[in-house]
Amino acid sequence: MRKALLGVAVAAAAMVAGCSGGGGETPKGPEKLRFMIIPKALDIPVFNYAKLGAERQAKEYGNVEILWNAPASADQLKQKEILESAITQRVDGIAISSLNGDFLTETINKAIDAGIPVTTWDSDAPKSKRYAFYGVDDYASGRIIGEQAVKLLGGKGKVAIITSVGASNLQRRLDGIKEVLATAPGIQIVETYDIKEDSVRCAELMASGTSRYPDLAAWLSTGGWPVFTRNATATVDPAKTKVISFDTIQPALDLLREGKVAVLVGQKYFGWGSESVKLLYDIKHGKMPSMPIIDSGVDVVTKENVDDYVAKWKKMESGS
Amino acid sequence: MKKLWHLREFSTVVILLLEILFFTWWLWPEGSRPHPFFNAGNFLLILKYSSIYGIAAVGAAIVIISGGIDLAPGAVMALAGVVGAQLFVVGGWPLAPAMAAGVLVGFASGLLTSGLIVAIRLPPFIATLGVMGITRGLAFIITEGQYFDVSSRLVGGWRPFGLPADWVAPIILLVLAVIFQILMTAFQWGRSVFAVGGNETAALFSGIAVPWVKTSVYVISGALAAVSGIVLVLVQGQGKADLATGYELDIIASSVVGGASLAGGRGSVIGAVLGTLIFGVLRNALPQIPGATFYDRLIVGLVVIVIVVVDQLLLKKRA
Repeated sequence: MRKALLGVAVAAAAMVAGCSGGGGETPKGPEKLRFMIIPKALDIPVFNYAKLGAERQAKEYGNVEILWNAPASADQLKQKEILESAITQRVDGIAISSLNGDFLTETINKAIDAGIPVTTWDSDAPKSKRYAFYGVDDYASGRIIGEQAVKLLGGKGKVAIITSVGASNLQRRLDGIKEVLATAPGIQIVETYDIKEDSVRCAELMASGTSRYPDLAAWLSTGGWPVFTRNATATVDPAKTKVISFDTIQPALDLLREGKVAVLVGQKYFGWGSESVKLLYDIKHGKMPSMPIIDSGVDVVTKENVDDYVAKWKKMESGS
Repeated sequence: MKKLWHLREFSTVVILLLEILFFTWWLWPEGSRPHPFFNAGNFLLILKYSSIYGIAAVGAAIVIISGGIDLAPGAVMALAGVVGAQLFVVGGWPLAPAMAAGVLVGFASGLLTSGLIVAIRLPPFIATLGVMGITRGLAFIITEGQYFDVSSRLVGGWRPFGLPADWVAPIILLVLAVIFQILMTAFQWGRSVFAVGGNETAALFSGIAVPWVKTSVYVISGALAAVSGIVLVLVQGQGKADLATGYELDIIASSVVGGASLAGGRGSVIGAVLGTLIFGVLRNALPQIPGATFYDRLIVGLVVIVIVVVDQLLLKKRA
């Protein structure tokens, strides 16, 4: 906390110094590459692993500095403002997880025209001139959730889907899920709930939905809201209803171990940061990405492989 | 005058009952299946989630009756929850003192608000807007984007006073609502709050200690918002800086639907609680109608307008 306050103070002092300088001269130090990494928001826990990944990769290179910057909570306009500030601050590279790719396209192109390489991660801006995107193929990962559901339910039963309307990546996951479920005539989607990115609302809906549909065979979720807290799945009887959800941040893995949750689909959280830094570093050194869309793949975690997954995770977290 | 308050609460009860009747009819199950809406478990669920808003709405109603407004409850809820959860999860404190410390945060923010309004004479809208930013900001600084997982420490049958955990929130709401309803109607302090809201100058000349009345309402509002925040943490199992974002508007709307007038001098604690139940039933029942989940924002907005307009018309008729 003190460090954060100090950071704010230093940033403020730097701004004042920059203004009084007037000419925009930057102090000449050793040639450090300054990369601004912009997640969707600061209050989304999964992104902290991306930060860890980025910082670790920067440390490995030695001459890279990470500027981690985002709106406090998801706000498209504020994210655009931060992106614009990265251009005026003349950073050496930008990697962004777009809240709204189309809305950011013009600004991303402006950065590239100004000679600042931009890559996207987690959530793309496909119409922009960004060099590359690193992340999951949302449609394919939605299909994986659908396939897991069909397999677990033996092709029949009632399912309810949890999503949040508005984000295009969640919409593509939803499309993927629905397309696979449509191939199983015995599966009926009783409802698609919009939880409005509010995890309290998710818990409330899961409780009321469970009593509304006592014969529900599965809850499928395009995001990690059902598994970020133990309470959301508290009313679900795992013997009757399978929970299949995106994301593997704790306590999700504990819930899986205890049998509360059947399948989790994990993203490459550390890779969001480390791969983005690698891409930018390579671009700065003249090596262009081999293709514009780099599919990170997903980890399908079940009770069988959860221990392996946790071991791998711990290794990545500690950096050993 | 007194009769009028009773009438107003009566009409809120009628709206709530009509709403319950409507959804009971609309969601009537086929054959011998149990009713998805009209059952004890579901009503307890509605009460549990409505308590999150309802406890803070008691405070909001008192502030509104005094002629003020409090925009901070949502943020105070988040901060109190984060502080309580941090002490409990990271600090290793026992549950009760950790959560009590969270409530103290609400007292402190209420004191700050009343200082700004009474001593510095800022308009309540501006003062509480500032406090909203400060408290939400502190919550973010404490959590640094992470969250405190209370649920993993409360795992397994947590039964405070031998009660099922789901009953805790509704009981807290009920007890606080009764206490403040009595304070507002049967005690001099409550009458002073109405007087200050009705006509501040007249209240001052009739010897009411207006600054103290104002201080008390904002401190109560802060403390009750903090209790809401603690209830939220217990219900959600998580202390997180962005919880309850935007809830201040739901809380104010509940008070207004329950009969509080933003002009001050009119409203009731019980009305505010009934208001949160009207929204709680909507939040619970609408998503049970297939496809309605995308319409609920719109319907909630319409309901606020219709209820308040009907209230205004009835008031004119009675006057």
